[in-house]
Amino acid sequence: MKIDRDEARRVAALAQLQFDDEALDRMALEMTAILSYVDQLQELELPDGEEADSLPTPLRADTPHLPLDQPDVERNAPAWRDGFFVVPRVIAGE
Amino acid sequence: MNDLLELPWTKARDEASPEEYVRACLQAVEHLNPELNAFLSIDREAGKSSLPVAVKDNIVTTRLATTCGSRMLESFVSPVDATAVQRLRTAGAFVIGKTNMDEFAMGSSNEHSAFGPARNPWDPTRVPGGSSGGSAVAVAARMVPVALGSETGGSVRQPAALCGVVGLKPTYGRVSRSGLVAFASSLDQIGVVTKTVREAAEMLEIIAGHDPLDSTSSMEPAAEFTRDIGAGVRGIRFGVVQEAVEQLEGEVAENFASAITLLRSGGAIVEDAHIPSLRHAIATYYIVANAEASANLARFDGIRFGRRSGEGGSLEEVYRASRAEGLGEEVKRRIMLGTFALSSGYYDAYYGRAQKARARLRSEIVSELQRFDHLLTPTTPEPAFRIGEKVEDPIAMYLSDIFTAPANLAGIPAIAIPSGFSREALPLSLQIMGRHFAEAALFRVAAWFEAETDWWKRMPPINAVTVTR
Repeated sequence: MKIDRDEARRVAALAQLQFDDEALDRMALEMTAILSYVDQLQELELPDGEEADSLPTPLRADTPHLPLDQPDVERNAPAWRDGFFVVPRVIAGE
Repeated sequence: MNDLLELPWTKARDEASPEEYVRACLQAVEHLNPELNAFLSIDREAGKSSLPVAVKDNIVTTRLATTCGSRMLESFVSPVDATAVQRLRTAGAFVIGKTNMDEFAMGSSNEHSAFGPARNPWDPTRVPGGSSGGSAVAVAARMVPVALGSETGGSVRQPAALCGVVGLKPTYGRVSRSGLVAFASSLDQIGVVTKTVREAAEMLEIIAGHDPLDSTSSMEPAAEFTRDIGAGVRGIRFGVVQEAVEQLEGEVAENFASAITLLRSGGAIVEDAHIPSLRHAIATYYIVANAEASANLARFDGIRFGRRSGEGGSLEEVYRASRAEGLGEEVKRRIMLGTFALSSGYYDAYYGRAQKARARLRSEIVSELQRFDHLLTPTTPEPAFRIGEKVEDPIAMYLSDIFTAPANLAGIPAIAIPSGFSREALPLSLQIMGRHFAEAALFRVAAWFEAETDWWKRMPPINAVTVTR
């Protein structure tokens, strides 16, 4: 599988990563090298359909409990005001 | 007084007061850390109890930061302790420091730590392995008696092997993952690094067992893991994985052959085993693990915790700039690969196929473990390599885990134990794999091998006992 700059840019956008063009070209080359190793899996004869290799994860009882205290959350917050995380405006104003 | 650090901690405990022992460990850390870079943080006031434990820096603790070896979490202090840490505290142990690691546990050499690599005490120009490199160095150099690490594809066993100590990966689900920062949730498991097999069993007794905070932790009761130590290997059936043997070269091949001879001399039955999918294990592993990582690491966006970039106007630009600044090259590479493998148009060909290949590998291993009690390989294809040797070649680095990743993909327990030394005086290691939840049987045979060889008693040239004497 060959990854070019445009494909690397598409994947970077999905992954919320950003690279300049030079870094993007380097990433495309590295991904191509790793995927050409991984492409050995394409030659395996594997069964069709879904793999049946997992057990269901048991769920815990849905009982109420106290969440973390606000000061504990605030301590690690990069930006915090009045009990809220501060982020850039999401909805455009007037 | 630092001769104490040479002993297994259970024995040292008989010979000194807890205060003396803890002081010796702190002194050892002070002396050696500037050279070995095993610890990212040290708690000098933590405790006076008799068991200081070093904890990998991706297992959360309330008294010290949990950086995961990343700039992204440089100043992150968890509001809670991981369940394994809580259980250690309840048992009277305390966290003496947090250990260096490849960023977010992604690496096999510790070179991908944002805070510089830990160094191998057998030869500081060589890597200690990874990703739990700091934990392996701390125990090998006798800075601490025991350490916690974490495994996704061999991250406890491989550094334990390269540093000449014992490394255990328990069965998937044996130890709660609550508080272990997630890399690949279907593979991750907390493990232990110790000098001796008995210490590994005792550590597992403390940290194992179901935890309501981790629904994948097993209901299987935590056994008395030391109970079969001393029972020997007579009549035990070992399968030698031929797909590993065919890749071996030189000293590693010779060392592995002599381990087999020794087991036979103890009355073990040793025959050929086959895991044909082993040769595809690394390709399978890197798709499954990175796909899961790409989802798990999405939480590091600079909003709720961790580093936030000052660049960027919109919310999305803040995410991207924060991740660009906070994450290292290897982590980005793996997130990119994982995102690609899950993306529309490629999902079936990559992630889907890898999951099927994983199912096949698992069924091959489980079926061989019906014929045999244990499967054997060397832990690593070669002893510790030089710092810088593989850092530009991701595939060569990934292949360091070729013999360890299968146990993670199959969810079985496996242990790495010292099996001798190369001509350059670098540690070599034997890997013993076992059936799901059969850790007690692993400890039994590993302890026999250890008692016959006593390799663990040999100390690296850089060690706390002589440096601080």
